[in-house]
Amino acid sequence: MDHEALAREMRGLREQVTGITDTAVAAADGLLIAADTAETIDAEGLAAIAAAGLGIARRAAEATGRGTLRKTVAYGSHGCAAFYAVGDTALMVVLGDEGIDLDRLHQETQPALRRIGALLSVTATADRKA
Amino acid sequence: MAAIRDSLDRDGYERLSRALADVAVDSRTGELRVSGRPGGVFHFRDGLVVAVESPGAPGPEVLLLRSGRVSGEQWAELMREPGAGRWPEAGLVGHGYAGAIQLRIVCMMAMQDAVFAILAGRVEDCELLDEGRPLAPVPHGETPVRLLQEATRKLAALAALPRPVRPDRARLVPTPQSDDVVRLLPASQQELLAQADGRRTARDIAFRTGRSVYTVTVEMSRMLQEGHLAFHTGGTTVTRGVPVAGVRPRVPSPPAAPESRSAGQLPPRVLSALESALTMSPQETPVSSTGPQEPPPPPTVAPHPRAPDSIHAVGTGTPDAPTQAPYALPTPDDPARDSLPPVPDTTPTPADVPDPAESRSLPRRRPGVSGITETLGPGRNGTSWKGFFRLRSRIRPSETGV
Repeated sequence: MDHEALAREMRGLREQVTGITDTAVAAADGLLIAADTAETIDAEGLAAIAAAGLGIARRAAEATGRGTLRKTVAYGSHGCAAFYAVGDTALMVVLGDEGIDLDRLHQETQPALRRIGALLSVTATADRKA
Repeated sequence: MAAIRDSLDRDGYERLSRALADVAVDSRTGELRVSGRPGGVFHFRDGLVVAVESPGAPGPEVLLLRSGRVSGEQWAELMREPGAGRWPEAGLVGHGYAGAIQLRIVCMMAMQDAVFAILAGRVEDCELLDEGRPLAPVPHGETPVRLLQEATRKLAALAALPRPVRPDRARLVPTPQSDDVVRLLPASQQELLAQADGRRTARDIAFRTGRSVYTVTVEMSRMLQEGHLAFHTGGTTVTRGVPVAGVRPRVPSPPAAPESRSAGQLPPRVLSALESALTMSPQETPVSSTGPQEPPPPPTVAPHPRAPDSIHAVGTGTPDAPTQAPYALPTPDDPARDSLPPVPDTTPTPADVPDPAESRSLPRRRPGVSGITETLGPGRNGTSWKGFFRLRSRIRPSETGV
């Protein structure tokens, strides 16, 4: 299992997009896999909330015929929280402050999501073979 | 640090300077999108810059909200007022949160700070577009040349410090020092010490404190020189949770479950238990004694939510694989069946069985499901509101003794 590669992706995304403050990757059931978050944030709780929120958004997209869910974004007066589905197995949370350029975030996140998805699937496949 | 002195992106500066000069000469109205890190957008009106927005510097809204001059609730109220748009200037002045002149100064400061942030970073490309929608334009624009001169002066002043830091790169931490030393520092520096955690740059702290990036960067550079702050070594820590190997595809949504499960996947003992329970049902649902190879009719296929075979370990089990029941249901010819305590009837009634076609649509509340039956009951022949008031007017004070 390559936690280091996952950590590099998360750190790289924070360095690449101005305004990202924290990132976390969790399994689809809300268990935290890795978190690059400040000490003031409860990463385990964030992962659980993200899974629940994405699940509700996924059901809403299915029930209303909106197709496959891609992301949800919660906006606050002090920033935003973007929740991305990583395939069918995991999710990624990106927290940003008020200055974050969301268009750029969505653009830069796609390659990172693909790489993180590949990391997770490769590890899971190797584990099943073992 | 010599890095920042040599770090002025001279090619990028030339590129931006040329693009701004073209806009001024042609007296254009529109926006100049600067790509790079952090990049930004210049908004023009008749060749003058009326607003600059950049992810690298807090805008007027952040300066007002984070500095505490306006609370989040007050801002939300202002945005709901008619004609507020994205920048509720009239509401801010009308409610006394800020004066008109103060707002202009805040907008001008934010504009100059954004130019500084763009120039302190990396300018990759400039693209001229049609008129955009600036958030908070200043009424009287500024010439691009003057804005560039001001930003260059600030960059030079920063670079002249003994240990300058870059606004979007340096992540500093407080050095160990006694409380007496910290108490003697100005309030602004104490705030910076509290915010510097090794993850935040000067730009991040400027957003959190509602101050300009230039001011925070200069102050942090001075505190680095004085020994109150130091560079964070070792990078940021990434918390590890469950191993990646434990990740499994999510369990599909409940509506798909009745269609994907066939009778052949149910354990025979569960089937026979279901059959016996249905036979005892007072509603006499017709059930054929089907074997594992023959699928039962649709109403009997859907398991009750409390049935043991519907228990899954979310995210850790394979959805299609049958899960071993934690306990065995007694069969009709099991002698131990009579000794068991009476089991409540869990037969799925027609109201409990989800219709596959209906379950794909939005969930709808069935009458009486919530247990609230008052509004569904027949209308009472009681006194209406009008009747109540008529009745009250008929009551005389002598009757009530008042």
